Amino acid sequence: MPHARALYGTAFRLTHNQEDAEDLVQETLLRAYRGFSGFRPGSNARAWLFTILHRVRTDVLRKRGRSPNTVEMLDEGPGVAPEHEAILTAGNEDVQRALAEVPEVFRSALLLRDVEEFSYDEIARILGVPVGTVMSRIHRGRAHLRRALATRAT
Amino acid sequence: MSCRPERVTALVDGALGASEAAAVQSHVDRCPGCRSQAAFEQALRRSLRALPQPELPLGLEARLRARLHERRPPGRLSWALLPIAAVLLLGFWGRACAPLVAWELSRDHDACYARTAPPLRVRSGDAQVVTAWFARSGTRLPEIPGRLGAAALLGARYCYMPDVSATPHLFYDSAARPLSLFVVPHHVRMGETFRTGSRGNTVELVRLGEHIVGVVGRNGDDVAAAARRLRERAVVEPHRPVE
Repeated sequence: MPHARALYGTAFRLTHNQEDAEDLVQETLLRAYRGFSGFRPGSNARAWLFTILHRVRTDVLRKRGRSPNTVEMLDEGPGVAPEHEAILTAGNEDVQRALAEVPEVFRSALLLRDVEEFSYDEIARILGVPVGTVMSRIHRGRAHLRRALATRAT
Repeated sequence: MSCRPERVTALVDGALGASEAAAVQSHVDRCPGCRSQAAFEQALRRSLRALPQPELPLGLEARLRARLHERRPPGRLSWALLPIAAVLLLGFWGRACAPLVAWELSRDHDACYARTAPPLRVRSGDAQVVTAWFARSGTRLPEIPGRLGAAALLGARYCYMPDVSATPHLFYDSAARPLSLFVVPHHVRMGETFRTGSRGNTVELVRLGEHIVGVVGRNGDDVAAAARRLRERAVVEPHRPVE
């Protein structure tokens, strides 16, 4: 089943829970299957599937009374030590834990860019937001990670 | 140029146009803070790309396939419907097939005359009365005779064929040699006439203008004579629509 593994990877990193991730992937593929007539041949099937995945996730969060596109005002905190070496010494475990601490609204943009390698334009279409918002979310996501990793390193 | 951290992020991602990228790059080269951010983000990208992909849970693919299978998109013909479609197609084809029609009429003739008295809904030897009875329920009959050879009209009813078409069935009788006359309510693939033996009866289908009439009886000569009489009447007495 093409793309199932990539979808599951993103789903798991969004939900941190195997059951929720599995539900998310199943619903995504069912919607894709039902709406296949709406798929334009020649367009990017992978991007289309990730668009559905994020819509399903948005629906789930709305049902739980959480708005997926807002986030509490984040305390950017004092300037972070500029050493980027923290990332060089961090193992996969540290990075995964730090990633899990990033608010989902930023984490989803970060995963689409840094793990799935979508372009800003593609991410804008997938998430249904302007390109400027994509840039801002990716930046803030990385800033979160930077702080989290620096904290762990100290 | 002052520090614009979001632009530095976009620079790392190669998401800036050429002139803006050059301007931001030139700032990054001179600004230790932005240079550190860019270096961190480049390292982070490599690190995130290198993260192992979470393994698919055991059996997920099988569960997915099962769910996809049970929910087919609407509008697509399910293979399960094919046998039903085949039966309907066969029924449609079969109802126009002369031997099958002959068999149905023969079976109905036997069933109706097997009773102690024919199950008439309209009892009359007058062809006009019987014709008018059918006309009241919207069925137009061809010109029908009051007698078929030695057999006299007893009355009529609707009989239902296996394809649930309501077929006018007229009963004629003489000295225990009953005859039936059916007005077939649908197209039959045949020439002007079709004659066959079925279930011990003789069946002759006759085309009378727009109608196809079936004559059924145990005695082949009686049936032939009746069919001939119908054809002759059709020639000398052209069809008159019933008011």
